[in-house]
Amino acid sequence: MFGFFIFILLPLLIAGLCYFIKDLKIQYIISLIVATFHLCLSLFVFVGIYNPQLPTFFSIDSLSKFFIIILSNVYFWVVLVSFSFLKRSVIPKAEHGKKYYFTLLNFYLTANSAAMLSNHFGMYWVAAEATTLSVAPLIYYYRNEESLEAMWKYLFLVSVGIAFAFIGILFLTLSANGTVLEGKQLFYWEFINDAKQLNPIWLKASFIFIFVGLSTKIGIAPMHSGDVDATSNAPSPIAALMSGSLRLTSLIGVMRIFQIISFSSSFEFARLLIIIGAVLSLFVAFVFMFKVNNYKRMLAYSSVEHLGLITLGLGIGGLAFVGALYHAVYNSITKIILFLMAGNIHYHFKSREVDKVRNVLNFLPKTGWLFLLAYLAISGIPPFGIFFSEIKIFGGILFSDKPFLLVVVMFFLLFIFVNMGKIIFTMLYKKSENENRDSQIEQFELTHFIAIALFILLTVISVVSPDILYQNIVNITIDFGIKL
Amino acid sequence: MENVLSILFCLSLFYVAVTSRVKEYVTILRFQGIILTISSIIPIFYHFSFLGLILPTTLLLVKVYLIPRYINKVILDLDIKRYIETTIQQMVFMPIVILSMIIIFLVSSILAHNTELNVIPFASGFSAILVGIYIIMFRKKLIVHVCGFLILENGIFLFGTAVASELPMMIEIGILLDVFVVVFLMGIALNRIRSTFEGFEVSHLGRLKD
Repeated sequence: MFGFFIFILLPLLIAGLCYFIKDLKIQYIISLIVATFHLCLSLFVFVGIYNPQLPTFFSIDSLSKFFIIILSNVYFWVVLVSFSFLKRSVIPKAEHGKKYYFTLLNFYLTANSAAMLSNHFGMYWVAAEATTLSVAPLIYYYRNEESLEAMWKYLFLVSVGIAFAFIGILFLTLSANGTVLEGKQLFYWEFINDAKQLNPIWLKASFIFIFVGLSTKIGIAPMHSGDVDATSNAPSPIAALMSGSLRLTSLIGVMRIFQIISFSSSFEFARLLIIIGAVLSLFVAFVFMFKVNNYKRMLAYSSVEHLGLITLGLGIGGLAFVGALYHAVYNSITKIILFLMAGNIHYHFKSREVDKVRNVLNFLPKTGWLFLLAYLAISGIPPFGIFFSEIKIFGGILFSDKPFLLVVVMFFLLFIFVNMGKIIFTMLYKKSENENRDSQIEQFELTHFIAIALFILLTVISVVSPDILYQNIVNITIDFGIKL
Repeated sequence: MENVLSILFCLSLFYVAVTSRVKEYVTILRFQGIILTISSIIPIFYHFSFLGLILPTTLLLVKVYLIPRYINKVILDLDIKRYIETTIQQMVFMPIVILSMIIIFLVSSILAHNTELNVIPFASGFSAILVGIYIIMFRKKLIVHVCGFLILENGIFLFGTAVASELPMMIEIGILLDVFVVVFLMGIALNRIRSTFEGFEVSHLGRLKD
């Protein structure tokens, strides 16, 4: 029960406690302690030092171990930066909302951990919906028109999407009619073990509904719009949390049904659907990168692109599957840096419009350089991790039954790289016409420290490539029945 | 009995398709809540247990009392106009609903040849899901969208009863709680939308574009 307490109950208790504590600093300290405990325990579980006994509806396997460590890592850095972020001045109306920040953040951790550790589709659904509920008010942090609209759209679209996913779960129950699974509970492993017996028509219908429904939360095209609006208008730590971990929470739901279907005769159908969704996401990111004029929106589209790449890797299978899992780790870390630096730029220039941001390297040299490095990292420049994971995904595509996809993907990625670069270099270097501000010495802030620490982490993981991580990924591929 | 309740549920959908008053939507939500509560009570007659009473009680509390009361409060507080505004004519909406329902019932009966399923609750639930989506698509007022979402949720619930296996009670209650909190948050958001945009229609939400 200790594991269950730290992963799920403690954040829930602290969420309740934060609601009653008025002092933000105390809220911050206890939230940080919870985040540290969560990270340490995830690490122990991941390394194999500790194997927690969890109650019914929850269990730990290679996939949940892998995703919970990503969540813990992203959450820890986000909480760490939150207090310095909250100290920044906002409009008076928004000041009032700050007191709920840590309550919601802790509730998010509870819901997200529950979703990742669940071994039952019903429990997963309840927890995944709860993550939406905890994040939606955080999107409305700035209390302005854009954030309100983004929150409404996110709440509404994702709730409808998740409702669709629930229909998919009911279809899964129907697919078990007439088999040994009839009348049984929706535990993943029972369905995986007897996947061959499931009715293929209902199983396909189930996959369509779950995939399309959860796409609203993952940000897979054409269901990405609510997610893009939310990520681009949320405060930067929350945007980092959404891009780095919340999207993966939904992805794990898709992976669970994909795992079931991969042992049945409907596998090729599901695979094709996933590949179409992924390529469409890359296409959407490719098109919108041409016209986007809001740099946080650009980062949101970059998330659509990378989640597209991850799903593509999952769909292709083999080496690409391994690459996709590595990509999930690297993308989550890089996105934290990108969003935190974008937050610094937003705070200084008071605008998210690219045209209103000029000469960042002069005004905010530390932020500017780190932002540039993060752009290079997300674009797949070595020695940062994404280079290695993309190589694996490309290799996987090349040796798969659909090698022509590599040309399409490379084409999209090239233009995304160029267009993102154009926007970022304009922000960093271009001087405004009537520039009258002198360059200032930028203070070394906590965000810079976090960015540097994350760069080191990113490089160490990608260069050293820890055996424990590789072994876990191999275990996941075995669970999915993939031969490497 | 289940079939009778499902048919009553379908009739409520027809009423939703013809009514043009916002308050009637709330009445229908309450009515559907009662039907769902009764359908969840039926199994108790066969195997009585006190634990089994928890789900119907929660359903009654959430779907019949709390949610309709909360939506009514939002309507009163925000002084929302009584009539819904549509993007298509009411006379077109009704045939679309009827046609969709006919197709759903036909397809369901064909599907029932291969899989063992309760056609009437299955098709009624699915019809409600579709009507909910139509309401979201073809109505302008955001509060009506929330009602459409709830009709969709009710449809899923009924649909769930048509599928043989039952979800554990703890999860069912979790789902109800989630739905309630969604509606609660949407109510708060509507309140803010009213003070920020001075209106509650979809047309007011057009700032976020590429």
